[in-house]
Amino acid sequence: MLQYLIILLDDTSVSYCHYENRRTERRLIDIEDLRSGILFAMKENLNIQFVYPDYDIPQEYKDLIETIDHTKIMPAGNCDGADVVVIDGIDRIADTAFDTSLTYVLRTDLKGLCRNISDIGEVLEKAARLNIVLTDIETFTEADFTEYSAALRKLATKTEELYADGKTPQLNILTDRMMLDAMNNCGAGDTNITLAPDGRFYVCPAFYLSEVGHDIGSPADGLAIANPQLYKLSHAPLCRNCDAYQCRRCVWMNRRTTLEVNTPSHEQCVTAHIERNASRELLAAIRKHGEFMAGREIVENDCLDPFDNREEW
Amino acid sequence: MAEIKEQNEGWQSGIAKSITFIVTKDCQLACKYCYLVGKNTKERMSWEVAKQAIDYILEHEDEFNEESVIWDFIGGEPFLEIDLIDKICDYLKTEMYRLNHHWFNSYRFSFSTNGINYHTEKVQNFIKKNYEHLSIGITIDGTRRKHDLNRIWKTPEMEHGIMPKPEEEHGSYDDVVKNIPLWLEQFPGAGTKVTISSADIPYITESVLHLYSLGIHEVNINCVFEDVWKEGDDRLLEEQLMQLADAIIDGEYYKDYACSFFSESIGKPMDPELENNNWCGAGRMLAVDAAGLFYPCTRFAQYSLREKKAWVIGNVREGINKNRLRPFLTLDRCTQSPQECIDCEVASGCAWCQGENYDAACTDTIYQRSTAICKMHKARVRANNYYWNKLFRKLELEGEREEFEENRPKYNETIC
Repeated sequence: MLQYLIILLDDTSVSYCHYENRRTERRLIDIEDLRSGILFAMKENLNIQFVYPDYDIPQEYKDLIETIDHTKIMPAGNCDGADVVVIDGIDRIADTAFDTSLTYVLRTDLKGLCRNISDIGEVLEKAARLNIVLTDIETFTEADFTEYSAALRKLATKTEELYADGKTPQLNILTDRMMLDAMNNCGAGDTNITLAPDGRFYVCPAFYLSEVGHDIGSPADGLAIANPQLYKLSHAPLCRNCDAYQCRRCVWMNRRTTLEVNTPSHEQCVTAHIERNASRELLAAIRKHGEFMAGREIVENDCLDPFDNREEW
Repeated sequence: MAEIKEQNEGWQSGIAKSITFIVTKDCQLACKYCYLVGKNTKERMSWEVAKQAIDYILEHEDEFNEESVIWDFIGGEPFLEIDLIDKICDYLKTEMYRLNHHWFNSYRFSFSTNGINYHTEKVQNFIKKNYEHLSIGITIDGTRRKHDLNRIWKTPEMEHGIMPKPEEEHGSYDDVVKNIPLWLEQFPGAGTKVTISSADIPYITESVLHLYSLGIHEVNINCVFEDVWKEGDDRLLEEQLMQLADAIIDGEYYKDYACSFFSESIGKPMDPELENNNWCGAGRMLAVDAAGLFYPCTRFAQYSLREKKAWVIGNVREGINKNRLRPFLTLDRCTQSPQECIDCEVASGCAWCQGENYDAACTDTIYQRSTAICKMHKARVRANNYYWNKLFRKLELEGEREEFEENRPKYNETIC
């Protein structure tokens, strides 16, 4: 069921997810399209997430945005009033003034993550929540998987220490799976859609920014998602048989790597399972310090890619 | 006992990898129902590409762990490239031997040909050389008028989009039928493949009986998957198949001849969990074309697709991108089917082609089943029910039913 409308305010709006936004030329959404999008969301009972560019938008846009309850996703360089701050690149951590009430998205490649584990560990204490988005999953090799596992173990040690101190850090790739008992994924095309600066709806920002993407309607014409079932868990054979509940299940990566929006790549599956298993170990480690998440278990599972177990479904 | 000729199961059915060389996209014919919309004279496989493909496949034995292999050659018309094919087969044999490959002595060379060049010296020499490992199917569509309705000779003008007037069309029946005796002498158990489109429904009965009269004991026949069906075609098909049923039963052809239209296993509801396998074998097969591109099946090559881009899964230099096979290997019946198909009370035996599904889908997906064939399947089921009810009653009256039930053949639902 549709719950969220993401509105890209500009062609240069920051990427908060796996896709790269290479556009450098500004194109602010038309104010009437913005108004139509807000109206659509109000009528459809959708929560709006506005995605900001790195420049200050005009006052009339700000006024219009404030007419509805919403979330602001903003780049670290222009984040006054943000609910979610995007740090695009590990090197920008040092320049970011953290606020313990905010959620942060850190976009980094694996090497950046592994080189800066201690910095990331410190962020956990300075933010309400940290979402790490790995930008190079598509190219992961076996060696990368090993490296990622090691990085997660180090981050888990830090997280465990914080829990032992009575804190409750949130790190998507480690703590989300502990809290979940069902899939909680990207949801593009299912629980959320995107209104782009051209005034059209897209499955997600990546489908707007890509040359091969296509729109799925507009506020005026209505929403028209072809084969909408393919964005739902029920129509994703690999995912509906999986319990890496924290997996992004990024439909854009799916489309790029397997050519189907409902089928994740080997790399996406293994990455998610490495996180799942790290969460399992973290859960056990935290419980050594006292009762925690009673009744919630993550079963042992050596298989890192559900594709390898498909004969058992 | 009552003998009922069964449709032959394919060689090593289910345990053989099918690897198809699209050796040419050219053909002497221009069959009107042909799904190959991009045939041309230019895309002929070179020896270098063929060798690279073979080297890649045989050197990656761990990725091809099926017990057996069917080296399949198609076109266009494969025998237009008999020299290349001969060289490929020689190389395959020597390399499988040299590498002590597990497919050595567990392989077939398979051909689906229009039969026109079957008698030629080169083709015959090839047959003699590889006879023990050979399957060849010649396509003959039935009677002359049925065959020539669709299977006409290509003209030079067609390459420029100019189609001949009906009176100028030149059918290929005579050029094919002359080779049938030689073919049956060499491959007595061989079957032929008959394709039904809208225009040739009225000739089904006469065509099947004609093929039987030519000595072909197995007629594999199917309606095209494309959305070509007109209003009333389902009723016409039902009538034709009931006529055919009468002819087969009354003439007792069922003892020695098979027609794939009639099968006991079709027309039943299907359990969404226990009978959820995909019908089509795309993705478990491999096809390679003249450019050295790999496909999950030939139907995903560009020359097979009207609306969509080719679904390339790799190439002979870089190998197979396994991520692009994942959708095929996790695809099941219900996930790709609309609710009406899942709930259908006559679902079993309703086939689909993954390539046609992809081509006809409203997005770039293999997960949208085309239902263009629905009414034709339902018509087939009605005629099929008639056939078995009539046949069983006849067997009962002749005291052979009980024995037949005891020796009831197992069903082998063959996949594409």
